[in-house]
Amino acid sequence: MASTQLTDEELFSELKHFGVTPGPVTESTRPVYLKKLKKLREEQQQRGSRPGKTRSSGAINSTSGGGNTAGSRPASHDVTHLSSSRRPGRKSSVLGFSSDESDAETPLKRKGLNHSSRADRSSGFPPQPKIRPTTPSVANKSQYGVTSKLNSNNSSPGPGGQRSVSLGWGVRARSSPEAEGRDYDESGDEDDYAGEIEKNSRSLNGCGASHLNTSKLAGDYSDSDEEEVGGLSVGDQQRDRLEPNVRRSHPKAEFTSHGVGRGSQTGGAARQVNPPESLNMVGNRRVEGEGDEVKRMDSDSSGGLRSHNVPRKSIYVSLAENHGGEAGKNNHVDGEDGAYRSSTSRFAIGLRPRFSNYSSLSQTYRGNHSNHTAPNHSYSQAVLKQKLSVPEDELLQQFKREEVASSGSFSAHYLSMFLLTAACLFFLLLGLMYLRMRGSGSSEVDGVIKSHPFGSDFDDTYNKEDKDLILKLLLNLHDHLAQVAGQHDCGDQQHPNRSLSIDEASTYLQTQNPEFEDLVLSSLEWIIRTGQDVGIRLTGQVADDPLTDVSEISRLESTHPKMPFSCRFRRAFLTVISRVILIAVVVGCVWSVVCYMKYRWRREEEETRQMYDMVQRIIDVLRSHSEACQENQDLQPYLPIPHVRDSLVQPQDRKKMKKIWERAVKFLSANESRIRKETQRIGGADFLVWRWIQPSLSCDKTSIPSKVWQGKAFPLDRRNSPPNSLTPCLKIRNMFDPVMEVGENWDLAIHEAILEKCNDNDGIVHIAVDKNSREGCVYVKCLSAEHSGRAFKALHGSWFDGKLVTVKYLRLDRYHQRFPQAQGCSTPLKASSLHVNTTSTMNTMPRLQHRGSANSSGFS
Amino acid sequence: MSSTSQKHKHFVAEPMGEKCVTTLPGIGAAHGKRLEEKGFGKAYDVLGQFLVLKRDEKLCRDWLKDICGANVKQQGKAYACLKEWCDASL
Repeated sequence: MASTQLTDEELFSELKHFGVTPGPVTESTRPVYLKKLKKLREEQQQRGSRPGKTRSSGAINSTSGGGNTAGSRPASHDVTHLSSSRRPGRKSSVLGFSSDESDAETPLKRKGLNHSSRADRSSGFPPQPKIRPTTPSVANKSQYGVTSKLNSNNSSPGPGGQRSVSLGWGVRARSSPEAEGRDYDESGDEDDYAGEIEKNSRSLNGCGASHLNTSKLAGDYSDSDEEEVGGLSVGDQQRDRLEPNVRRSHPKAEFTSHGVGRGSQTGGAARQVNPPESLNMVGNRRVEGEGDEVKRMDSDSSGGLRSHNVPRKSIYVSLAENHGGEAGKNNHVDGEDGAYRSSTSRFAIGLRPRFSNYSSLSQTYRGNHSNHTAPNHSYSQAVLKQKLSVPEDELLQQFKREEVASSGSFSAHYLSMFLLTAACLFFLLLGLMYLRMRGSGSSEVDGVIKSHPFGSDFDDTYNKEDKDLILKLLLNLHDHLAQVAGQHDCGDQQHPNRSLSIDEASTYLQTQNPEFEDLVLSSLEWIIRTGQDVGIRLTGQVADDPLTDVSEISRLESTHPKMPFSCRFRRAFLTVISRVILIAVVVGCVWSVVCYMKYRWRREEEETRQMYDMVQRIIDVLRSHSEACQENQDLQPYLPIPHVRDSLVQPQDRKKMKKIWERAVKFLSANESRIRKETQRIGGADFLVWRWIQPSLSCDKTSIPSKVWQGKAFPLDRRNSPPNSLTPCLKIRNMFDPVMEVGENWDLAIHEAILEKCNDNDGIVHIAVDKNSREGCVYVKCLSAEHSGRAFKALHGSWFDGKLVTVKYLRLDRYHQRFPQAQGCSTPLKASSLHVNTTSTMNTMPRLQHRGSANSSGFS
Repeated sequence: MSSTSQKHKHFVAEPMGEKCVTTLPGIGAAHGKRLEEKGFGKAYDVLGQFLVLKRDEKLCRDWLKDICGANVKQQGKAYACLKEWCDASL
């Protein structure tokens, strides 16, 4: 070959001539480049144009792609292929903000890989160009496990070859191949159907279904089931290989099987593509059962449906689930039923993910199954009318309407309302009855008075007529008095007195019946004689005196007033209302008292905490001052109290903190032994001063490190940090312990610490300290990924405050979800110029003295 | 790659230093011997070749195949490992 005579330079130039930029041609690279040149020349001869040279990026893809075309490929390549193809579409389910979530960097690769590997297993099978019945590619089986089950019921036609067909989309790539095989074996060929074409079309459909689904699904759902997607992609690939007579088939293989089962259908292969109306399919299915023309329609529509492009996703799952549950039940050869059910569920798949809707829908269908003919028929008719061109939305609406209508009776909402109203009515009736009973209690004595409370003497004394008269008299009297009393109680002004004088009573009784006149007194005497309450109370001139004689009676009163019903009701109502109000008022008072107490208690706590905080600060200040004094003999070893206050408390807070300050001072004088209060003359004026009188302990302050950075634990390299910064948001862990934090504004101290550590990085725009997190999390947002990368390098693995700090990246959108105020931040934060160190040694003194640094100790 | 092997992780995690070429994933004892005979006894030799070929995948794979008869899978592994190492450390 000519190439062997090429020198290195010539080889180099030849390659360049072809457009390649080769690396140096050395003895080791020479053979490689020679090969390349050879290939280029061949290609050039073949086509006169050159294939893309550098396929480095797509190398893996290409290899996997090549593998695909070659036939079944090793799973690894599939994985690669799928992962690489899927990665862009996949939303890396990165992290939220909780401490349990995984890091940002790894899921991008790992999860995708894992998922794709899972899917690959299922999809690894698919790329088999044969949909032939021979070996329903295991992949198919696994892919379409569910659907196969589903299809088992329906007339999956004839030879086992149909397996692939009935598989629809591998929504659940779960069922075992054995199960599938079983199912297939079970399903007899109940229906005849014409041969090959249908088989082919069906198988096509089976594959196509998944195929189409894949293409749509992958884009749509980042969260969708990987297996599902994988399964779909499998079908996809398969479809590609199938002959073009498949039309853009629709992932409804089972439908086709149904359709086939339905009758002689020339494999609706000749349908044109229609917009996805799974609903139509449903309708078609239903129609099937109705009759011949239905069958035809069904076959037509199923054919048409087959050509549909319905990329639906989770609906499949839900329906498949629903359906799967039924699959077991559908084993009877009544293909129709099975067909309907399965078709129903499958149809629902065609629509956008409306899980709940569809499950309820399928449930509805299931429920209606027993009498499906009528409702289904009507429904299907309605559906059919829609025709295939109905846009999806209308379809959805129809579904919604349908399902609401059909499920109204089952709706829990209605049921609960009904129960509620029933209970209310019941109680209302009960109350009314009670009231009525009370009101009419006295009317028991109606009619013939058989029983009287006067004892047997009464019977002996009088004969029957007299007895009756007396009793009637008393009854009359009783009623009258009751009426009077009732009217009086109801506010009726007719009877200003509740009771009747004896004269009035006598008059009344006489008007009732002249015969009563004689017996009035004796009957009253009997009333006195009996000790029981007969409903009439007799009172004498002096109230409350027990009467012994008839002559003492002056007034009669009823003890069972009879009131009209409305009055009774009104009184009862008023009583109830007043009682309820009273109780409410009492409860309200108690509750408000409790609230107030709690508030006060909280305030107390707060103030105490602040007081202790202040005390702590004072002590720190004094101690540091005394240390400074020891080193610098020019300073006075005491500090005026007002000066300390003014240096610790901001001017705007002084008024608020006055009380706290007072308490702190008191506390110090009472409980702090290391500080002594004395009076000193400073500059001619007397001041109360504090003097620190504890000899300084050598290691006192250094025992507990305060919020300082203390160096790096490990150098950052590839192993423990992501290769490049991924997002502009960081989550920093272990910077503090919320339980141990004391003092106010320690979170600001943390802010300062971070800013100080990254002071060379002008890109931090938002910091948030999660005060309640157990792990001591701090969230940081930077201007760009580059800034965050630098911050990462600065912070990750450093020691802060005795704790090892770790950093990881967070997703920007999640960060914004959690901290919406960070969305608008774009100005880099700067550390405040002061050193954040409460127990700094030398610095506090000059700060105290120079009021200019009023924010000493970093408290802002 | 569904997941990276231990070998891969080990290699990528740290500077390769004087590691033998058999520490490369995909390169076992047999391939390693052949590489050594051709003068590529250390991992950095292979890296050097890798870089000379401008890290082009096809070329690198071809070269690996030529020099030690690595199959596609092994080539893939080795290439991926070196690529990652380069991304991390170059």
